[in-house]
Amino acid sequence: MRGPVKLEVWKMGFVNYLDALKLQEKLVSDRKLCRIPDTLLSLQHPPTYTLGKRRTDHNLLIPASELKSIGAELHYTQRGGDITFHGPHQAILYPIISLREIGLGARNYVEKLESTMIELSSLYGVKACAGQKGETGVWVGERKIGAIGVRISHGITSHGLAFNIDPDLKYFKHIVPCGITDKEVTSLRRETSTVLPTEEVIHEQLISCFARLFGYNTVVWKENPSLSSDHEEIE
Amino acid sequence: MASKMLWATRAASYLRISVVHRGFSTVLKDLKYADSHEWVKVNGTAATIGITDHAQDHLGDVVYVELPEVGASVKQGDSFGAVESVKATSDVNSPVSGKVVEVNEELSNSPALVNSSPYKDGWIIKVEMNDSGELKNLMDSEEYSKFCEEEDSKH
Repeated sequence: MRGPVKLEVWKMGFVNYLDALKLQEKLVSDRKLCRIPDTLLSLQHPPTYTLGKRRTDHNLLIPASELKSIGAELHYTQRGGDITFHGPHQAILYPIISLREIGLGARNYVEKLESTMIELSSLYGVKACAGQKGETGVWVGERKIGAIGVRISHGITSHGLAFNIDPDLKYFKHIVPCGITDKEVTSLRRETSTVLPTEEVIHEQLISCFARLFGYNTVVWKENPSLSSDHEEIE
Repeated sequence: MASKMLWATRAASYLRISVVHRGFSTVLKDLKYADSHEWVKVNGTAATIGITDHAQDHLGDVVYVELPEVGASVKQGDSFGAVESVKATSDVNSPVSGKVVEVNEELSNSPALVNSSPYKDGWIIKVEMNDSGELKNLMDSEEYSKFCEEEDSKH
């Protein structure tokens, strides 16, 4: 059985995609050297389209040159998964954790990320479920409410999940989301009749679901952490 | 699961080696193993590399394999490529150092070979080793089986 397990949560507010990517690369390296504990970044991005390792840019339906005019950026990444959109009012979690230490493989890890979003949805009376085979993510009926794209390097995770609280769904019309045609994208706002609390509360609930599902018994919160992450030595 | 046992038994009699069954994951006797779940089959200085049955089972259905260029250098413990499954890209590390002499092009059309035949048709690269001494850093089949057992009991 594992001993006490600590998760350090960084509440970051709005972060530019590339800044978050650079920070994750540094944290993955630190985690690999055991300089930091398992870390979870909680944030939102300005309007950003991203592609995974397979570079499926045929799923971007407008010319890249037009993206600026709709106020969005495009980035290529090393994560798994197809094209997706990130934007305001979408809760993002990037766990930087050691899968080897908890003996999890990619499949179980991703299932737990799905469960995190399913549990959060249920807090608002929304019956979400994991996708069919080959359609990783979280669905309410035929509508996708949460997306996953992960990278695992030397057993350390980066990238993670994106849960639609109330993003502008029009942005999704410019892509074939996750490469799956004929399926809609939805949000918590659309699916629940419950009055939503502030987004900060929803982010915290999402983090709590994550921490519980992954068996962390200590959660340390870091408000307004610096992007340049000059860490003090952690024992 | 019964079909996996049957496959393993058939593979064992074809390859004429004894198979250690570890739950549902197969471990082959004359291979060497890295703690990142890659296997290597050594023939003189020629090495064939892939990922283990345990690894493919924990990854899920592989939909994409990123292969290195022929001629690329690999180093023991360093990443040389990646596989994608369930929207996760996982680095694949080389158990030995040397030069890539062949890559399994079939995987570009049929990445699922990694799942269905991890030790045979799902091989990933062939390397000309430059330091056979490194093999002592790897596990044999018994050590690897135990390693997998310990890892799986962590959660």
